[in-house]
Amino acid sequence: MTKPPPVPLTLAGMAEGARAMLPLMPGIAAFGMAFGAASIQKSFTLLEATLSSALVFAGLAQMVALEGWTQHWTAGSLLALGFLTMTVNMRHVLMGASLRPWLGTLPAWKSYPALMMMADNNWAGALRYRAEGGSDAGFFVGSGLITWVVWVLATAVGHLVGGGIPDPKAVGIDLVVPAFFIAMLLPNWKGKREAVGWGVAAAVSTAVSFVLPGWWFIVIGAVAGALAGGFTDDDR
Amino acid sequence: MTVDAGTLTAILVMAAATAFNRAGGFWLMRLVPVTPRVRRVLDCLPGAVLVALLVPGAVQGAVKGDMGMLGGLAAALVVTRLTRSDLLAVVVAMAVAAGIRAFWG
Repeated sequence: MTKPPPVPLTLAGMAEGARAMLPLMPGIAAFGMAFGAASIQKSFTLLEATLSSALVFAGLAQMVALEGWTQHWTAGSLLALGFLTMTVNMRHVLMGASLRPWLGTLPAWKSYPALMMMADNNWAGALRYRAEGGSDAGFFVGSGLITWVVWVLATAVGHLVGGGIPDPKAVGIDLVVPAFFIAMLLPNWKGKREAVGWGVAAAVSTAVSFVLPGWWFIVIGAVAGALAGGFTDDDR
Repeated sequence: MTVDAGTLTAILVMAAATAFNRAGGFWLMRLVPVTPRVRRVLDCLPGAVLVALLVPGAVQGAVKGDMGMLGGLAAALVVTRLTRSDLLAVVVAMAVAAGIRAFWG
């Protein structure tokens, strides 16, 4: 089987990706600061909070894990923590799978480090970038890097500032990332297949979120929607 | 500036779990032959992930009396449809959510 030629990965693409994330940065910074401040309640030192954001780089998982954080880790509680982290972020498995046709053309020493920069927002940004004809893998890397830098710095700032950070909900900060997702998603609407796929994803994920505890609703809803859409045949 | 050994271990466990997730799906797809059908499912996957990530939270919020997320998302939808500007979508969604919460929160 012949492999398609590798897609470009350029500095110009990285700069473009970083620029595309700018509208999101106040929202990312606000959530990074919220995590930094919340981590104080669980006796994180500044270095520990910063390390967590730098190495884990998954806001939702970090926030959820904080709720059950303990000072005395046992093999059992560590195992539970690993399992919790994996289920909260299970969507990353699907997101990575969807990147195969694009980043799969790169050599592994480039594609796997690039994947470590994957977050919801740069993945969603790349979705629109690809839909509009872009192919430079630098876009994905650059948009991931700026997110990572802002996330880590904001965590440190939040830990230093501590309390006194305004409630993100009152000023609508919790809408920043979701609204950005909508802006990235909508240009992908082409017709019947999206209507079926997204409709099934919405219905199944919402139903599951009322029935099953935890975070399974994301991955179950997404798989159901992708299968429903993928098996919807139209004239494309 | 200290790091507790237990906390560090817990952070490393989480880091391993997220790295596994980030690489796992991409790696698995190496083993799956990309037939036109698989390709169509993969094409539908991103939209389905985002919808499954957004809708349940908005509905759960509305059920609990917070219409801010639902209203903000609807505003983002309209703005994106009209302007295609992501910055505008973000700003208007924030304003709408903050407004809804200020008046009915």
